[in-house]
Amino acid sequence: MSTKERNVDLAKWSGPKRPYDLVKEFVIALVVVTVLVGALAALFSSPDDRAITLQQWGQNAPSDFVATATGELAGSTISAGYGAPYNTAAEGLNLGPLKIQKWAGVTIPVNPAEDFVLKPLKSSIDPAVPGAVATWNGASSDQQTKWASDYASAIEKAGDAASVTADAAYGPVPILTNALLHLAQEGSLDGLLTTQVTPLPSDFTMPMLFLADGAYFDDLGAKQHLHGDQWGMMNETGSYPGQSWLWMFSSLYQIEPFKSSENADAQIFFVLMLLNLGFIFMPKLPFINRLPRLIPFHRLIWRKYYKENNL
Amino acid sequence: MALLALSLNGPAKFFNWGFISVSIPNLIMIGCIFVLFILALVIPFPTHKEDGK
Repeated sequence: MSTKERNVDLAKWSGPKRPYDLVKEFVIALVVVTVLVGALAALFSSPDDRAITLQQWGQNAPSDFVATATGELAGSTISAGYGAPYNTAAEGLNLGPLKIQKWAGVTIPVNPAEDFVLKPLKSSIDPAVPGAVATWNGASSDQQTKWASDYASAIEKAGDAASVTADAAYGPVPILTNALLHLAQEGSLDGLLTTQVTPLPSDFTMPMLFLADGAYFDDLGAKQHLHGDQWGMMNETGSYPGQSWLWMFSSLYQIEPFKSSENADAQIFFVLMLLNLGFIFMPKLPFINRLPRLIPFHRLIWRKYYKENNL
Repeated sequence: MALLALSLNGPAKFFNWGFISVSIPNLIMIGCIFVLFILALVIPFPTHKEDGK
């Protein structure tokens, strides 16, 4: 900043002044916005998509449910390989050498095979389940993975879990996953997964992670244009307008290198922090701080002042 | 009151242009924002009879 500019900032204003009632403006704005919100809410109501339950999943897409439960046992789902805060299976998001997700640590430990499948099965009344669980627990980790992976491959090949014929190669996995499907279809699993952590069903971490591992929930999101690569951050369910002011965040997810990056969240966060710093330090940035002289938009806003003072 | 409200729970239509995909409801909101911005520029500030000096 030059000495001249600094003096302009420090000098007492000697130009024209006018009174301005900030409280009056605030009250008028508050009343107008309140009336608008009330009227629009009465006219259009609000988004009313019911929460998706595990029961719905089990009833509407049983094969996907069984395939996902098998994936949990094989350790091949998103939850199983997510990293912090659920497990240490991956390093997760990072900014170069800064392992930001890993540093956050495992604060909500989740073992998908145990938490989503084996623990809820303790409530199953299927007489075959205790023996199947004992067989599973008695096998080595490699054997468990092989059983579950082979069954997952068979489901994928058949296209439907119900079409897969029983085979000793799958071990107890078909019994476990189908018993879990029955728990889901009768509605018990929703309760069992929400009461694992606390007695009151107020923590939906487990059912949400399990649901998100399957294709059923993913497909429902895609139909509503809610995926990250569908500008989903800006969209709302149904025909309601969404968060259009998030266009800048959302747009970065649509272009390379972010679109195909596994680390897009961290990269976009970094880019937007840089842009925010650019806004904060705009008066100090060469060329950018001269833009008002090249594009005198402020003269349009304050045109009366500039006209009256022949500036 | 819910019976009087217009339901917007049906699927939205989308405007697609290259990699840009915007729902029509969002497009209407963005249009409203632009109109308000232009109006704020064009409509003069309330004037006062006496300017305090």
